[in-house]
Amino acid sequence: MATKNSPDARGGYRLGLQLAPIIIVCALVFLVPVFLDNDFLLNKAARYVVFGILAMSLSLSWGYAGILNLGQAMSFGLGSYALAMALKLKTVPIQTGSSGLPDFMAWNNVESLPWFWVPFQSLGFALFAGVAIPALVAAALGWFMFRGRVTGVYVAIITLATMVVINLVIIDQQRYTGGFNGLTDLAQLEVFGISFDAYSRSTYYLVACCLTATLLIAFAFTKSRAGLIIQAIRDHESRVRYFGYDVAVYQIFSFALSAAIAGLAGMLYTVVMEFASPTFLGVQLSLSVVVWCAVGGRQSLVGAFLGAVLVAGMQGALSESAAFVETWTLVMGGLFILVVIFLPKGLAGLAQTIKARLGRRESAQANMSEPLESTEGRL
Amino acid sequence: MDQFVQQIVTGLSIGSILLLVALGLSIIYGSMGIINLAHGEFVMLGAYAAWTFQHYLGLGLLESLVPIFLVVAICGWLIERYVLSFLNNRPLDTILATWGVGIILQQAVRLLVGGELRYVQLPDSLSDSTELLGVQVPVYRIFLFFAALALFALTWLLMNRTMVGMKLRAIIQDRAIAACFGVNARRVYALTFAYGAGLAGLAGALVSPLKSVSPEMGTGYVVDAFMVVVLGGVQSLAGTVFSSFILGELSGGIAFLENDTVAKAMVLLAIVVLIRFRPEGLFTTHVRA
Repeated sequence: MATKNSPDARGGYRLGLQLAPIIIVCALVFLVPVFLDNDFLLNKAARYVVFGILAMSLSLSWGYAGILNLGQAMSFGLGSYALAMALKLKTVPIQTGSSGLPDFMAWNNVESLPWFWVPFQSLGFALFAGVAIPALVAAALGWFMFRGRVTGVYVAIITLATMVVINLVIIDQQRYTGGFNGLTDLAQLEVFGISFDAYSRSTYYLVACCLTATLLIAFAFTKSRAGLIIQAIRDHESRVRYFGYDVAVYQIFSFALSAAIAGLAGMLYTVVMEFASPTFLGVQLSLSVVVWCAVGGRQSLVGAFLGAVLVAGMQGALSESAAFVETWTLVMGGLFILVVIFLPKGLAGLAQTIKARLGRRESAQANMSEPLESTEGRL
Repeated sequence: MDQFVQQIVTGLSIGSILLLVALGLSIIYGSMGIINLAHGEFVMLGAYAAWTFQHYLGLGLLESLVPIFLVVAICGWLIERYVLSFLNNRPLDTILATWGVGIILQQAVRLLVGGELRYVQLPDSLSDSTELLGVQVPVYRIFLFFAALALFALTWLLMNRTMVGMKLRAIIQDRAIAACFGVNARRVYALTFAYGAGLAGLAGALVSPLKSVSPEMGTGYVVDAFMVVVLGGVQSLAGTVFSSFILGELSGGIAFLENDTVAKAMVLLAIVVLIRFRPEGLFTTHVRA
């Protein structure tokens, strides 16, 4: 993968070749509304693309940095709540009138707006916070973990437990967070005079634009110097440490970047779904993200994206078809076990193997052998 | 004073359930390095087995414990043999595979016996309550406490006083060397996993009279049990016992002072901090890695 990015004359060509899947996928995503003339289906497609962004963000921390974050939905949920809080304050509650308290607070006898809700009266702050808060939380958690050289399974447990704690707090503090019900009856997002109705093309294109931007940012990161070091850390942490690098700093950075992208995905999800709920940072969703990533290929950004779209799409289709309405979880579980056992690198790994086979045949004719697969992922 | 004793007893009761569930997980994780996310589903299978034996065959809970253990253990053996044995040396992938196994088991049960709640009856001989240090305690809770300790003792004997246990300990120390001495690691692993699954099944059967039985009942247990194992220290059976009762008393106590949700959040936070500073757990046995 990145190790093949040698600074020879073919470097530019190879970079282009690696960018190709990203460009093709983004172009396809942008083309969907041309063929899909149904607002309901378009909304569904937007949801799958948002899941794709979420899976891609996990691929950045799991596949590239070797940090299995079982709490990726935490960042997603925090982003979702940040935007939902701002949109909730934009609605006009029936009981308390305009610029009054959100309805659920009035029901719970809250007298005045809690301090942490106040800044969310500004939409600009909310849009910033939706990315910044998950990133900061992740940076703090990362600092806590990676400074203590916590690795492997323990990272998975800590991230999962932290997410459960935040989820429990949100459910418990019903007066301030809406509890189990989450934040519903939100206003529509309006930026620069464009309003984003969940069932409209504008929302879909917003999601598609965010996908393109985040994919390119993530790609640029993996190709940067820091991105290469982070992959080296994944493959052999102590060796990189002996070279004198501050391993924790790189881990914290990629962990926070991944969380920021997940937070953005969360904000988009609020726009698409028109509510925020504690399930957005639940164990169920969080493990699903891991599944998407594993199926698509954790070490490929595009692979993880496609994995999410494919699995979530299939899940949606199977659960609605009469023949599989009861058995789709069985199908999904079985499929997933097969992928884990036989395709540890996911569909992207399968594509790579096929490409390598074809390439080997060609290069054998040209008598030009070179190592095809150099890094064997340990995780 | 009465309230204090009541709290201690509640904590012990939570702790004995935790121990029952965590014991199997501890064996599987400690000796095989497999993070078994399907553990909660084994608990659920055990509870359903208890319900099935009672509902269709009219067997009491106590008489059906041995068959329940065998049924769930066989399930575990099959899963080890046909799924997990492909994943040697890929510990993180076992999280994913066992998750897949878990959702399959859950849905299969839902399809076979339906998603509605089921109830298992207490054995008649244990349905009373008795007075202990001035507070009323259900006899069944006391029975659970001693059942948990008995299963722990049995497991300890199995690990430390039998041939299979010795082979397992040899594999934990060094799989390759153990194999050189003729230990069939695959067979020992399959038996270990089956035993751990069987223990989970027993746990499910034993708690089934206290809770309603549903296909989703296992998910709550697996996180708690996992915290017990991490807190107690991997590969330390005695640590598992202590940490179950520590966690039991802790969550009982905080739940009394605040509420259940806060108790759960506080306990999780405490464990997160503990892992950071003492990833090997509170009680550890030394193992040559």
